[in-house]
Amino acid sequence: MTDWRTLIGRMLGKGRTDAELDEEIGGHLDLMTRDFERRGMTAGEARMAARRAFGGVAQIKEAYRERRRLRFFDALAQDLAYALRQLRKNPAFTTAAVLTLALGIGANAAIYQVLDAVLLRPLPVKDPQRLVLVQLRENHKALNFAYPLFREMAARQQVLDGMFATSDFPLHDPILRGRGPLHSARGVLATGDYFRVLGVSASLGRMFTTADDRAAAPVAVISHAFWDREFGRSPAAIGQVLEINKAVVTVIGVAPARFFGERVGSAPDVWLPMALEPQVLAMDWLNAPTGNWLTVMARLRPDVQAAQAQRALDALYQQLLDFTLRREGVRARHLDLEPAAGGINDLQGQFRSPLLFLMAVVGLVLLIACCNLANLLLGRATARAHEMGVRMALGAARARLVRQLLTESFLLSLLGASLALLLAWRGAHALVALASAGGGWQLPLGMGWRALGFTAAVALFATFLFGLAPALTATRVDVHAALQASWRGHTAGRSKHLLAKFLVVAQISIALLLLSAAALLARSLWNLRHQDFGFRRDGVLMVDLPVEFSKTLMARHNALRQPLFERMNALPGVQSAALSGFGLMGGMQHTGYLSSPDRPFQDGDLVRYIHVSPRYFETMGIRMAAGRALTAEDRQDAPKAAVLSETAAVTLFGGADRALGRFVSLDKRFNSKTAWEVVGVVRNVRFADPRDPFGMLVYMPLAQDPVPATAVMLRAPGDPSRLAASVRAVLHELDPNLLIGNVTTLADAIDSKLARERMLALLSTCFGLLALALTSVGVYGVISYAVVRRTQEIGIRLALGAARRTVAGMLMRDVGMLVGVSALLGGAGAVAMVRAMRTMLFGFGTVEYSLLPIAALLLSLVAAAAGYLPARRAACLDPMEALRQE
Amino acid sequence: MGNRSGSRSEVPYGTLDLMVLKTLDAMGALHGYGLARRIEQVAEGSLELNQGTIYPALLRLEQRGWISSQWGASDNNRRARFYSITRSGRKQLAAETQNWSRTVAMVNRLLEGES
Repeated sequence: MTDWRTLIGRMLGKGRTDAELDEEIGGHLDLMTRDFERRGMTAGEARMAARRAFGGVAQIKEAYRERRRLRFFDALAQDLAYALRQLRKNPAFTTAAVLTLALGIGANAAIYQVLDAVLLRPLPVKDPQRLVLVQLRENHKALNFAYPLFREMAARQQVLDGMFATSDFPLHDPILRGRGPLHSARGVLATGDYFRVLGVSASLGRMFTTADDRAAAPVAVISHAFWDREFGRSPAAIGQVLEINKAVVTVIGVAPARFFGERVGSAPDVWLPMALEPQVLAMDWLNAPTGNWLTVMARLRPDVQAAQAQRALDALYQQLLDFTLRREGVRARHLDLEPAAGGINDLQGQFRSPLLFLMAVVGLVLLIACCNLANLLLGRATARAHEMGVRMALGAARARLVRQLLTESFLLSLLGASLALLLAWRGAHALVALASAGGGWQLPLGMGWRALGFTAAVALFATFLFGLAPALTATRVDVHAALQASWRGHTAGRSKHLLAKFLVVAQISIALLLLSAAALLARSLWNLRHQDFGFRRDGVLMVDLPVEFSKTLMARHNALRQPLFERMNALPGVQSAALSGFGLMGGMQHTGYLSSPDRPFQDGDLVRYIHVSPRYFETMGIRMAAGRALTAEDRQDAPKAAVLSETAAVTLFGGADRALGRFVSLDKRFNSKTAWEVVGVVRNVRFADPRDPFGMLVYMPLAQDPVPATAVMLRAPGDPSRLAASVRAVLHELDPNLLIGNVTTLADAIDSKLARERMLALLSTCFGLLALALTSVGVYGVISYAVVRRTQEIGIRLALGAARRTVAGMLMRDVGMLVGVSALLGGAGAVAMVRAMRTMLFGFGTVEYSLLPIAALLLSLVAAAAGYLPARRAACLDPMEALRQE
Repeated sequence: MGNRSGSRSEVPYGTLDLMVLKTLDAMGALHGYGLARRIEQVAEGSLELNQGTIYPALLRLEQRGWISSQWGASDNNRRARFYSITRSGRKQLAAETQNWSRTVAMVNRLLEGES
């Protein structure tokens, strides 16, 4: 038999090159010329005679080439037509195969699209490879820039094509006025060089420049999406006036549709020149040498290496440091340049491993699907053994038949992939919605050539994966036997059956892996949801009141505080209500220093300040560990009173009881003049995230340290969300101009923080169940095939008096073997997988390990059930009929 | 194909394939020239063959998997491609030989019956 490389070469219609033919003809003419010379001709005569005997060389070559081309395309057209006919003849098989492939390929394409958008794709700007993030670090901790530092560096550096700074904090959700009801927009302040350095030009109007920034021109560039949403893509948008916080700006340009800023996942609506900062924010940060709030990016000069640029910039930074930040006692700070072709990617850290994990999961699902198809095709190969025999007897080459069968597989893949593209398009959007619940990612998804190319590659790979082995097996036909045997054809039955068994073992093992992963992730989510949060998660409604950071508005907000507190507590159905600076499970928090007389603030301490109204602990269900809660008595003019979390009390004083009556100050070092008395200690809570450790928290009365209260909490028995409408009404009544943000229950807020875990648990469960379904079909198929193959044997056994139970048992032993081997393989794989997944699992212990055997048991039961159906059919065979089957 | 006329037959379509297969079956691996010379020898001058026409035929046979080829050295120490018959080629030869004999026999009967 020809070796497989020639086989594949021939399948692809690989022919001779012209050079090879030239060489062959040259040799031919030479040999003939020599023969003629030996017969006595002169060299010239001999050459002429040889040419005559050979015929027209050019014509021969043309005929040869013609033959080569014709052969390939003829065969291709023939194969396709034949394959189509075959597929139409078996609509059930075709539908099953196409759907399986569509699911498998579609899942891969969908996850890839998101993976590409989050992890791989470079920014849609000019030459992204030369973009770098200029990162300030203190002992590896990343720090932001202050504006004066940036300004000096940008002016003095010599190694860059330019650098720019942006900030989305504290300009988080600026308020847009004058366009319908008040609503917030996503805004970014950027220095004048922003668009030039990125190399992005306007799709309409113009971008702002350094000149605009220097002149503090009140201008704005809007995103394509914002242009679409607010102005219906009208060119008249240019010159329109927007009121953003206190700034009144004129739209001068629209960014291109594909440009979403330099941060993956956040798509700003409006870019404003940095110089407008004092108008947009409550305070002037431009001249504050210590406010660290800027992200800095730069473009390397083409003639400068990254390492060289880094040395130069770091040297410049150290030099500037000497006279700007001396007093802070800054040490061990340095500048890093990090490649930023993909932009600044905060999603990457969070979603890198989940997305890669999901990619692996869908890859395995596709593998299972391919095993299934391979098995189906093997089954069909048995049915077609006769056909193959006839065709080979008629002189068809094996390579030709393999190619024919692969063409059928390819056609299936093609149909599956087309359907898959549709699924992927919907799936990717659903995935992003699932992953970003609460986060609101803005990802530019789309079927670009990368996604299409990936889908095509997956489809092609799948074709070979499921098509090649069955095609090779199917054509290994003993022509003689195939022609004599009935349609069942016992030809190569054994090797076929072995292959089928191998495929099923692979399927079950992989399915076990996927099911185990699903069980672990679902359990991890359950653990996260049902852990001890320190507060009572049910029965709380939270209202978010976004606040503008401007002095007048903050003053107004403060004036609202007392009436708001009273009205909320008076609402019918409300048990208790409270306000706080920032709410639980939100994105924002106050952090700062905390020290006691014995323990100054230490590097690495993370201390949260929580400004609360009276009744806060009662409303949130946080229990006191010692002392008293903060009440209405803690007025502005009363002695300053603070409540610590247990962790803070233990860290500073060595215990809850010991902290009572002691003093703390909100500085690096204790200062008795500004000290707060500890009047109580409360149980620890997880403040901003379900994964948070119990940290150091200081609660203080809003009355004694007024900050805008952006969170209103209400505790009500039953479902608190029914109060939403009446809460909104009260707020509107208090101040019609008040901007109301999210109104959600605390439980939902926690869930939205678990979007990643939910996505992982949900998708891995779906894929695990899909794997289970495909696998049971696979087991059913292979046992059915065994029954068909052994019909005669079973007939003989039954005729000789074997009990039906014995026959079924014999087949079920097969199933048991398959499942047993797979459980061992898959189980070993699952244990290895658990190690790799540990970082994604929360609260992993013995209970969680016991999920692995449970998954194995579930899978075994399903597999046994799938195998039992054909086994029972075999046991019910009529022995006479079985024997008659030849 | 050549455009000679006269008493010597041109190669009828299809029979060149058969002759190539038969020759390779009998002689083992041969290069293109050796094959052409052998066929001419066997035909003893009754066949006018443009030797070049065997190359498209060889390609056709190889595409069908009936012969295979590999590079080797010829007697003038040049590289030459040597062709040999494959298993399915032998089967094809057997089938075609039978077919040919049947056709010839049938045509003979037809011709004898008419004369």
